[in-house]
Amino acid sequence: MTPNLTLAIVAGVLFAAGVYLLLARSITRALLGIVLLSNGANVLLLVAAGPAGEAAFVGQTPPAGMTDPLPQALALTAIVITLGMTAFILAMAHRSWQLSRTDIVADDVEDLRLVELAVRDAVPHPDDEATSRRTPDDDAAHDEVRG
Amino acid sequence: MLIAALSLMLAAAVLAPLAAGRLGRRTGYPLAAVFLITAGALLVGAPEVMAGGVVEVSLPWVPELGVELTLRLNGLALLFAMLVLGVGALIMSYAPQYLSEDYEHARLYGILTLFAAGMLGLVLAGDVVLLLVMWELTTLCSFLLVGGRGTDGARPATQALVVTGAGGLALLGAVVLLAVGTGSTDVATILATAPQALSARELTIVGALVVLAAFTKSAQLPFHFWLPGAMVAITPVSAYLHAATLVKGGIYLLLLFSPLFAENPVWHLTLMAVGLTTMLFGAFQALLQHDLKALLAYSTVSQLGFMVALVGVGTAASLAAATLLVAAHALFKATLFMLVGIIDHEAGSRDIRRIGGLWRAMPVTAGLTALAAMSMAGIPPLVGFVAKEEAFYAFLGTSQATWTADTAVSGALAAGLAVVGAALTFAYSARIIVGAFAGPLVQTNLYEPKAAFLAPAAVPAILGLVLGLVPFVLNGIVDRAVVDTGFTATEAGLALWHGFSAALGLSATAIGLGILIHLRRNRPAILAEAVAPAMLGPILFDRAWSALLGFGARVGRGAHALTTAPHLGGILVVLLGLAGAGALTISDLAPMRPGTAQPADWVVLAVLLPAVLALARAGDGMAALVLAGTVGLVIAAWLMVLGAPDVALTLLLVEVLTVVVAAPVLARLPDRRGDRTGRRALVGSGLAGLLAGAVVLVMTGRRERSAAAEYYLAEALPATGGSNVVNTILVDFRGLDTLGEIVVLAAAALGLLSVAGRRAASGWQPGRAGTLGAGELLVLRVGALVVLPLTAAAALVLFLRGHDQPGGGFIAGLLAGSALAVARMSGIEVRLPSVPVLVSTGLLLALAAAGIGLVWGGSLLEPIKVSLPLVGEVSTSLLFDLGVVVVVVGLVQAALANLAGDSGRAGPPAAAAPLAARTAVPARSGPPAVTEVAP
Repeated sequence: MTPNLTLAIVAGVLFAAGVYLLLARSITRALLGIVLLSNGANVLLLVAAGPAGEAAFVGQTPPAGMTDPLPQALALTAIVITLGMTAFILAMAHRSWQLSRTDIVADDVEDLRLVELAVRDAVPHPDDEATSRRTPDDDAAHDEVRG
Repeated sequence: MLIAALSLMLAAAVLAPLAAGRLGRRTGYPLAAVFLITAGALLVGAPEVMAGGVVEVSLPWVPELGVELTLRLNGLALLFAMLVLGVGALIMSYAPQYLSEDYEHARLYGILTLFAAGMLGLVLAGDVVLLLVMWELTTLCSFLLVGGRGTDGARPATQALVVTGAGGLALLGAVVLLAVGTGSTDVATILATAPQALSARELTIVGALVVLAAFTKSAQLPFHFWLPGAMVAITPVSAYLHAATLVKGGIYLLLLFSPLFAENPVWHLTLMAVGLTTMLFGAFQALLQHDLKALLAYSTVSQLGFMVALVGVGTAASLAAATLLVAAHALFKATLFMLVGIIDHEAGSRDIRRIGGLWRAMPVTAGLTALAAMSMAGIPPLVGFVAKEEAFYAFLGTSQATWTADTAVSGALAAGLAVVGAALTFAYSARIIVGAFAGPLVQTNLYEPKAAFLAPAAVPAILGLVLGLVPFVLNGIVDRAVVDTGFTATEAGLALWHGFSAALGLSATAIGLGILIHLRRNRPAILAEAVAPAMLGPILFDRAWSALLGFGARVGRGAHALTTAPHLGGILVVLLGLAGAGALTISDLAPMRPGTAQPADWVVLAVLLPAVLALARAGDGMAALVLAGTVGLVIAAWLMVLGAPDVALTLLLVEVLTVVVAAPVLARLPDRRGDRTGRRALVGSGLAGLLAGAVVLVMTGRRERSAAAEYYLAEALPATGGSNVVNTILVDFRGLDTLGEIVVLAAAALGLLSVAGRRAASGWQPGRAGTLGAGELLVLRVGALVVLPLTAAAALVLFLRGHDQPGGGFIAGLLAGSALAVARMSGIEVRLPSVPVLVSTGLLLALAAAGIGLVWGGSLLEPIKVSLPLVGEVSTSLLFDLGVVVVVVGLVQAALANLAGDSGRAGPPAAAAPLAARTAVPARSGPPAVTEVAP
């Protein structure tokens, strides 16, 4: 008898797809990944609660048949938190679209320079700052902020 | 009095930078006065100390750990404190003449005074924790003072910090071992009880740690190299920290703890071997230097080695000689540093190949230098001679020490090496005088500096002469110091003339040898070869240091990843590793319980599997969103079957809202078919899925309900009056968790406001966007007018009955939020307070409920039942739940108002496609997708 195999597959698929999407560069794909991961985690929580049963309402169902209410409370909390995160990440995607018309997280050229400097253990020279390259995207971003 | 003295110094350190703003470089003079006043305050206790007593004061500091702020003035502390404050006062009155007008006076004087306070605290500390804190304070001040000047100081300062900081860690280890072993942090208690309380092995480890700390601080081989490097600091700093006081910290530590190791031959042999080697090495190096300051630095290394070796001998005589040498060295070395600073200042160089014959232009400077150098060289009648005489005498008496009973260490060997060291000392002392002052004058326009510049250097030079003539005045203090290092009363009996003794013969030999070496001084090459191996220390340090930095850079490179994937990948790898480790440790599993499976599970799987796979492959944002919503709805339905109606309702509403809020954002974004994650991500996510599946198989369905579940099921109704157990857990039992959660929601709402930036002028409206025709909009609007009041009523009912029936604050809030979304889509304006007002009102309501519970019930969030007219009995948890509703509505409102509409004016014109063009493809526009799900 393999009673949990279906649940195992459900959780596994949700986690795999969630992680896969989360590793993408696009903010919205990462967001969908988080939504799937959250669903997977909630399934895990509720399955861990034990056997399925009647809803936990005192007086309506015999106590012996009730499900464990604690994981339900935890899952409920987690779901609403996920909504908050979703809203916030959407705001970032929205902002990214406002600034660069895409939600792909672009390479940060300044950050690349910092990496190189850190590896060489060098201190940035003031002159370097003035001549640092700026991409058109960066310029657009600056203009946007000002505008 | 001790507290007052230390407080005065600390206050001076705080006030010095402020005073420097007004007084500039002349700040040194009032500081010198403060140093003298502090010294006077300590001298009030001197008579008691000289009579054999101890002045002690103790304030509670960390009573939980038994750590007290204990200050203790005994003979040893008094001697060191007088050196710290006396030399400090001289340096402070020297600095104003030495510094230029535009130096950073505030910084220098502040840190220098703070250092003096730290050094004073170090020698007065009667508690090992306080001792450690002060030790580190002096290390830090040294780092700041060496590194203070531009970029030259950065490397030597780092070297000094790393080396002495490592010593500080060793001291920390010793302190912890002693405190744990003896159960006390009081120095006197530790010294009295440690030999019994700690095993011999533990005591040896403590000894090794103390030795390491002292050797790094006092620049013993192989840690010596930081001291010459630290000479990039300005002269007042070098003279004060790196000649007279800081480097004596190690000697003080050895003296302080020497009673613990009186019988330990390893301790004594280590100190003697390293001390004598360092003495010879430093002296050789000093002979090779052309820079007078570098010469003095190596001379300090050498003299410190001399002192360490004397502490190592471990007889009353040797400790007396060591303390006397500490004092003598502070006097002549501070003088020499100050005078070299003067020469540098006046002649523009301190390289003896470029200066010479200075005695013709600066006879007073020359005379004072000669006086100090003669003291260093050990020539009578100066105090340096007396100290060296005592040292020879002590080395000769090595065999009388208790620890040498069964070791054949020859006092003669030690004395012989000491004589060689003294001879080299004589030679480099002569080198200073001959190099700088003899011969023809090579520069013109040189004049004697003014008296105010010379006076601070003249005082210790002349004091060296006076004390040399009447050394017996030091008998008392040296005796007290020796008693404090664990010996019963002794009689130092210092004298200039002891008659014809062996020590006198050794002194004469040293001077004679020194003259010989001086005469053959032009052959440094031989010497250079002799000391080459000892240069291994700095080379090894540099290698280790750059290897460490390189390792750090390699480790840190991962953190510079430009995308999130590498960061998340690290977490993923750790998780998988933990799971693997967990899998290996699982031995026997409880048997699976029957009845866990449901027929519905297969239906769920059949719907979910294709939806999730399609979602992972979907390139179109809207399609992916619809699939994600489908997945959520299926799970919600399944949760209902599992017996979790509240969770199912919540998930249902959240999925609906997610789609409504996300649709307009995703609709705008370009197709993303090209954006694929790499193969490694595929493998990683596959493994994560396997892990999750394995966890489900292993960890579920193998036990009955938990004890917590039984408790909640049994207590929900009696304790809270609610019969919906899940809801009572949320608002009553674990209300604090929920409070934290709504704080997170509020933060998300406010963060969203700031990230999303400017709000759209009038929000997003389907009529404007042109996706719906007038007729469709009309239908939507009429429908909404019917649906909205019903939804609002439903939300109210769900809220009110939440404690007993499916519902509650979250669900009611989400339903109200969905109503808002519907209203927005149909262009019906619902006037609500602004988002910040909403979320803060919600939080305040919840906090009020929590506070009422605290005030009337005695614990935070305790439900209080109130009888209201008409309504009946109401619990304060309803108020709390109301707060939850308002916060959730605020979050939904923030998302709806800020994410839905953006007219596309923002951004570069080229990218801002005309609205009509973008909305021409119906599948990717917001509303149709929404209407599929929302009703």
